[in-house]
Order: sequence, then structure tokens, then C-alpha cells
Amino acid sequence: MYTYGETKNALKETTQDELRGLASIIATQIDGDAMAALRPGDEETPAFVAIRHQLETIRQSNPDILYLYTMRQAGDTVEFIVDADYGVEDGAAIGEVYDRVFPELLAGFTAPSVDSEFTTDGWGTVLSGYAPVRDSSGTVVGLVGVDMDSSRVMQRQDFIGNTIFVIIGIAVLIAGGIIALFSRTIIRDIKTLNATANAISTGNTGVTIGIERRDEIGELADSFGRMVASLKIMMDTDAGEK
Amino acid sequence: MSQVSQQVLDIAVQYLGPAAERFLERQTKAHMDNLPFADLKRSDIPTLASWVRTSAALIIDKKKAEELAERISRLG
Repeated sequence: MYTYGETKNALKETTQDELRGLASIIATQIDGDAMAALRPGDEETPAFVAIRHQLETIRQSNPDILYLYTMRQAGDTVEFIVDADYGVEDGAAIGEVYDRVFPELLAGFTAPSVDSEFTTDGWGTVLSGYAPVRDSSGTVVGLVGVDMDSSRVMQRQDFIGNTIFVIIGIAVLIAGGIIALFSRTIIRDIKTLNATANAISTGNTGVTIGIERRDEIGELADSFGRMVASLKIMMDTDAGEK
Repeated sequence: MSQVSQQVLDIAVQYLGPAAERFLERQTKAHMDNLPFADLKRSDIPTLASWVRTSAALIIDKKKAEELAERISRLG
């Protein structure tokens, strides 16, 4: 369970690094000057169409990306600028306010950042990475957000989890087999000793102990063998003297 | 008891227990011209080892009897 938990965390961290890196690279591809100039109602302009097409192309090339969009700060709120899904399904238009503002999202306006946990909103449960978009003068004019569907991350975690459980299962089976085999040989040798003791107790001295082990059972067999041998010698001698 | 007798006895006790001396006494007397075990000499070792190999196999496991005889013969 500990290994599973640690692996799950490691996988989440890897996914977070991947999202952060992806957002940073995409941010450098976006024309910051054109994006900064976009205002509500500009959805049909060549600049908007070009950026939206660019985002859509990137998203299609990477099946792990669920949503791809750009945003900017507007006072205390955050609003969408270009959403790759605009015009398709429920994509946001320019200026549409995003109703949930949290530290990781705001941090994305200054440096690449990533959600610490999955976030759930009207679009579903996702893990998101953010990176600032700059204009030609280097000024931050917004950010790009990359959302990964929680099910993609869960699939990866489940695969790792199942693999760990299979390995643990195989290890338990092997250990159980070894223990069973070891127990069987111990029980067999104890039964041999018991049968020899029974034979001697009924007067049968023609028995030998053929147990060879390098453990306590082996020592017991050796001691028992010496005792039986002495008994036979003494009995033979007594018989001879009579 | 000679030093050789004691060495042989020390080894035999590990295989035959406390009656080892009685066993060895019987071997030397019966098969080595009534020689007392206590008077054993190094030159007697090969003969004694040979008789031990045969007689001990009737009492203990054959493999162990062979091992005992081999250890005794190495004293010669």
C-alpha cells in the first residue's frame, strides 16, 4: 500500500511536471501582441482565428490535452481570451469570466505553475498547467492553460497500481510455495524421527536414521542417531555376554 | 589409553555415542588378535578403519559409517 501510494504520488508529480513543461512550450508559440489586442466581439478576426487554430492543432497532436486556452487578468477576475473549443461544444468567448480564481492559476501569470490537486468546474475534473504569455516587449499579457482530464491520470495510476498488485501477488505465491516446501521437508523429517523412535520403543533395533540437514532438525537427528547407535551396541554386547 | 586410542575414541563418540568405546574394544579384540583398544598404535589404524567401515554400517547409516571410517583412517 505504501509503495502504491508513493508510486501514485510520483506519477502525479511527473504529470504535473509534464503539464508545466507543456504549458511553457505552448506559451512561447503564441503571438502575445495579437492576443493582447483581442477584445470581446473579435472572435471572427484573423488574429483570433489564427490563435484558436494554433491551439486546436496543438491539442489534436497531444491526446493527453483535454482543454487548451488563454486567459488574462481583468481586475480581480480572470477572463478567457482564446479557447480552442470556441465555436465547438461549450467553448468560452473572449472576455468570458472564469468563476474560480485560485493561487496556482494566478501564479501562472508570473511563472509556469500547475494545480496541486485535481480541480472540478463546469467543464469536468482536470489537472491544469499554466504558463505566462508575453508580448514582443516581454510583458506578460496573459497565460496559457493546459487541462489534462482526470481520467487520463487515473488510467496511468490504475495501470501502475495493478502492476504493483500483480507483482505483490506473484511474490506472495512464490514465498508461500517456498514456505510450504520447507515446512513439508521439516514435517517429513520429524515424522521419520518419530517412526524411528516408535520402532526402537517396540524392540526393533534394526533402524537407521538417514536424515541430513544443517539445521536444528539435523542436529536432533544426529543426537538421536548417536543414542540409537549406543543402544544397539550395548544391546548387542549384553546379548553377546549372555 | 594411548594417544591414538583417544583420538579414535573422540571421533567415534560423535557417531556412536557413549557406547563407542565398547564398540571399538569389540572390533580390536574380535578382529585384531585380541588387541586391547587402549593399546592401539598408529600402524593399527588402517585395519581398524576397515573393520569399522563394515561393522558400523550395521548400526548406523551407511554413509555415516563410511564417513567415520574415513576420519579414522586419516589418523594413520
